[in-house]
Amino acid sequence: MSTAAESARGPGQGAGPGHGSGPGRGSGTAPGTGAAPASLRIGLAGLRAHKRRFAGTFVAVFLGVAFLAGTMVMGDTLRASFGALFGDANSGTDTVVRGADQIKAGRGPGVREPVPTDLIAAVRKVPGVAAVAPDIEGAGQLVKPDGTSLDTKGPTVAANWIDDPRLNPYHLVDGRAPTRPGDAVLLRDTATQAGLHLGDTTLLRTPDPVRIRIVGLATFGGQDKQGGSTYTALTTADAQRYLMPRPGEATTLKVRADAGIGQAELTRRVAAVLPARFEALTGQQASTETESATAGTFLTAFTTLLVVFAGIALLVATFSIHNTFAIVVAQRTRENALLRALGATRRQVLGSALAEAAAVAVTASGLGLLGGIGIAAGLQALFPAAGFPFPDSGLVIKAVAMAVPLAVGVLVCVGSAVLPAVRAGRTAPIAALRDSAAESVGVSRWRALSGAVAGAAGVTLTVIGAAGTTVPAAAVGAVLTLAAFVVLGPVAAPVAVRVLGAPVARLRGVTGRLARRNALRSPRRTAATATALMIGVAVVSLFAVLGASMKATLNQTVNRSFAGDVAVNEPVYGAGGSGISPRLAPAVAKLPQVQQAVGLGRGIAEIDGAGRQLTVTDPVALSRLLDLGTVRGSLAGLGTRSIAVARPEADKHGWTTGSRVTIAFADGQRLPFTIGAVYGQADLAGDYLMTRAAWAPHRTQDKDTLVAISFRPGVSIAAGKAAVEKAVVPFGSPDVQTKSEYATSSAAGINTFLTLIYALLALAVLIALLGIANTLTLAVHERTRELGLLRAVGQTRAQLRAMVRWESVVVAAFGTAGGLGLGAFLGWALVRATDSSGTGAFAVPPVSLGVVLLVGVLAGVLAGWRPARRAARLDVLRAIAAD
Amino acid sequence: MTGGVAAGAVTAGTGAAADITAAARVVAASKVYGTGDAAVRALDAVTVGFPAGRFTAIMGPSGSGKSTLMHCAAGLDSLTSGAAYIGETELGALGDRQLTLLRRERVGFVFQSFNLVPTLTVAENITLPLDLAGRSPDAAWVDGLIDVVGLGGRLRHRPGELSGGQQQRVAVARALAGRPEVVFADEPTGNLDSHSGGEVLALLGRAVREMGGTVVMVTHDPSAAAHADEVVFLADGRLVDRMTGPTAGAVLDRMKAFDGRGGGGAQ
Ligand SMILES: Nc1ncnc2c1ncn2[C@@H]1O[C@H](COP(=O)(O)OP(=O)(O)O)[C@@H](O)[C@H]1O
Ligand SMILES: [Mg+2]
Repeated sequence: MSTAAESARGPGQGAGPGHGSGPGRGSGTAPGTGAAPASLRIGLAGLRAHKRRFAGTFVAVFLGVAFLAGTMVMGDTLRASFGALFGDANSGTDTVVRGADQIKAGRGPGVREPVPTDLIAAVRKVPGVAAVAPDIEGAGQLVKPDGTSLDTKGPTVAANWIDDPRLNPYHLVDGRAPTRPGDAVLLRDTATQAGLHLGDTTLLRTPDPVRIRIVGLATFGGQDKQGGSTYTALTTADAQRYLMPRPGEATTLKVRADAGIGQAELTRRVAAVLPARFEALTGQQASTETESATAGTFLTAFTTLLVVFAGIALLVATFSIHNTFAIVVAQRTRENALLRALGATRRQVLGSALAEAAAVAVTASGLGLLGGIGIAAGLQALFPAAGFPFPDSGLVIKAVAMAVPLAVGVLVCVGSAVLPAVRAGRTAPIAALRDSAAESVGVSRWRALSGAVAGAAGVTLTVIGAAGTTVPAAAVGAVLTLAAFVVLGPVAAPVAVRVLGAPVARLRGVTGRLARRNALRSPRRTAATATALMIGVAVVSLFAVLGASMKATLNQTVNRSFAGDVAVNEPVYGAGGSGISPRLAPAVAKLPQVQQAVGLGRGIAEIDGAGRQLTVTDPVALSRLLDLGTVRGSLAGLGTRSIAVARPEADKHGWTTGSRVTIAFADGQRLPFTIGAVYGQADLAGDYLMTRAAWAPHRTQDKDTLVAISFRPGVSIAAGKAAVEKAVVPFGSPDVQTKSEYATSSAAGINTFLTLIYALLALAVLIALLGIANTLTLAVHERTRELGLLRAVGQTRAQLRAMVRWESVVVAAFGTAGGLGLGAFLGWALVRATDSSGTGAFAVPPVSLGVVLLVGVLAGVLAGWRPARRAARLDVLRAIAAD
Repeated sequence: MTGGVAAGAVTAGTGAAADITAAARVVAASKVYGTGDAAVRALDAVTVGFPAGRFTAIMGPSGSGKSTLMHCAAGLDSLTSGAAYIGETELGALGDRQLTLLRRERVGFVFQSFNLVPTLTVAENITLPLDLAGRSPDAAWVDGLIDVVGLGGRLRHRPGELSGGQQQRVAVARALAGRPEVVFADEPTGNLDSHSGGEVLALLGRAVREMGGTVVMVTHDPSAAAHADEVVFLADGRLVDRMTGPTAGAVLDRMKAFDGRGGGGAQ
């Protein structure tokens, strides 16, 4: 019966599939057959074949681990370099004196009372104090020679030049220190970026434009740059004038000790002479605090985000890997059965399957660690180029950053192999004699039932959570829904493949029909393959929906509330700008084209004990440019002892017009205020309105964040805008935007965020595609004889390739469609569940989702490419092989 | 037994055998597998024609080169030297694509096993080569074929639902569906019991005698060879004999002579 076995094997097919590997392999040495033990030969042949089968698994683990390790290494590196940065900033400072109370609103850095420079004399008298210097810090954005502002997306630091070289972390490397009004020292990198040179004059927007002359260049901690900040130092007198609300104040005082006095001791002594509203802390403490306040929060958020996406990638990898192992075990049924027949115990078979997985896991994870270090190094080089301000220094590779990804990689890989390995162990010896691979193809009723129940419960809970804005209910519902999608995959696969494959079958004739039937062969396998892609696509779609809804909400807000014609809109401090000069609005208001111009400034104060953000403005003018809704009380009569509050906020606290509140300002003053007016709509105006007159005594660096402008009747938007643009040139040409431009630029941050998310998700999608490619490769091996038959009876190579590729496309389309549906649904739930005010918009971005679908399908083509080429290269004569 | 009919047909054709155009032929065909010490000469300067409208069997011991001859003659494999023709087309001059088109338009195949695509129905399997070519089948011809192979009630079944004999009959129908110039069958009954095998052989015989087809069948079973009009004998890759009007007994005797002489092939 086996006479044809040898004749059928093509020449030089040593690396063929393991399934058909009978004892006839290497028939060139036929007479020597029987010398080596059969089990050993089979084992070796199997190992050789499996190397290829596990290539996909290997790459999936490798990528997941590399991404995770890269993230962690990068996080540690960033943390260390920020630590060094903040350490440098206070390296010569032993004690810092500052306002004791901090007022914080939301997640911002908060404000403290400035320190009167009068205190310097008292501190200097403390025994052990060698030097005291006022430290004044604010925002100052440089204007480049071409008249536009330098925008590096990072903080725009303006400060006073400290003459004591040990208290000053900046080191003069060129020119001289500022001594006369208008003198300025720039960080060398800042000067380079702005295209400014020693001796140049330019404007510094504080945000009031100040004319400065560059007299010196400095380095920070021996480096030309300081993280992503720009830095401009003025004389102390200038700094006080432009950066502080009043003369005679400083942000902090820096104190240096005499030799032999420790930081703690000095700090104790200094603290003893301070008034109660001020405190002293060591230079060390100050560094740690700023580090954790700025870099810490940012880095934690950023690295958490990256780790979450590494997790998603690894979850996707888990599905792909599990699928691969399941297929391989099914394909090796005969081999395992033979081992069992030869006397191998269940545990031995199970053990060998697990050992194989462990070997793949350890090698792939180990190499993944190296890959991770490479990724971290690459990112370090790439981020600054992409505009992310990150300091560069050596990579910091901690043990944890290696151990965790290694453990996770091994766990994911071996964990994915457990079920298939158990199945391998259960192989009955009799299976060696059966013909077909014992992979259960059907779908159990239990699966359909449990999936349906989980799905119904999940969707119901999600909808309830979304409707009632109960995030926990929606979250549990979402997880259940996801689980139901995974469980129901094999149930849905036949229907979905039939529907999605219908156009393929219609358009591509028998090739398409074969592709569709192949995708239908094992619903479980198809579903498992598609699930990996589905998860990736679902997350992409969820964010697409979320982003579109946020943009729609913003748009809706601007359209509803912005009654002006144009807006002057500039990034605030920390986001690359320094805000808008408060003198801009009055200047624009004088234009003949302009009906009304009002600036909105921001302030922070404590109202009845909690930090709040105030909008400092002319409330009457504001009410003409922003729709404040129905106003109860009088905006005109706010004066210096009343504020206006938005209705939802007032309701929350039980305030009405005439209610009394106590407002504590950063300067330490606590004053009684009355609620003078309650207005209906907080959209753009914010929750609290305060007049400029009321805010002025307590102000810090004065700046507006937005100026709203309306034109006189008959003035076209274009003409008015042109006039405004001309008028704002002396203020450093901040951006003048029409209503729709304003809405778009407000949404710019969302786009940046979405781009980052999509880039991060690309990895998960890539891993999912590798999974599809791998499944197809395994399927091609499995179907060797069938493919040979098709070729023998007249299928051309091109048709065969098309058949495999279309199968890939159908599977990818299934995963993508499922992901789109799931993602859109969960996106809707998330938008609704988190919209407590009920005013948010929900939007489905058809273009983005269309692109996702297209990319998914194209990715299917790509995933099928290699397996298709391999299939087309198969030997036709294999069809005639008789095992 | 159809021996009488076969004998009559062969008698009628014997004299004209050289004149009748060959549907397929090989000239000085040699095929060597491997190189150097490991080289195996599977075909050694074989020249043979398979006349149109005839049922020819290729006989020989295991390893004698029967399958190799068939593969090379049918455009599934290439010769090391010599030439193979389907009609007047020289196969050596064709590329993979042209060979594929030739196979699906001018040649039919029946293999020992695994003849059908498991995902396609019986009907789809029968028209597969035509579908691949994008040709619409000649409905009357195909219906007639389905009648002949007797599987009219099974057209919507999948191959897995058929017995081995039924599968081989579907394969024969598939091989004939496109009215090929020649049908090659490699041990088509090798996996079948004698009853099913007989049905398949009878079918191949009818394809030649009633439908005017040409069949070339590889077999090592003398009783299968007896269904043919003519038998060619291979041994060690060489054409050693031909026999017209074969009977099982005559073929068996002939084979025994080989065994006695050569003691088997390259196995
Ligand atoms: N792919 C191949 N590689 C090496 N040797 C082969 C190959 N195919 C066939 N052979 C050898 O060629 C000879 C003829 O084989 P084959 O034509 O299959 O014989 P038959 O069909 O008569 O049993 C045998 O010795 C066989 O071992
Ligand atoms: Mg053979």
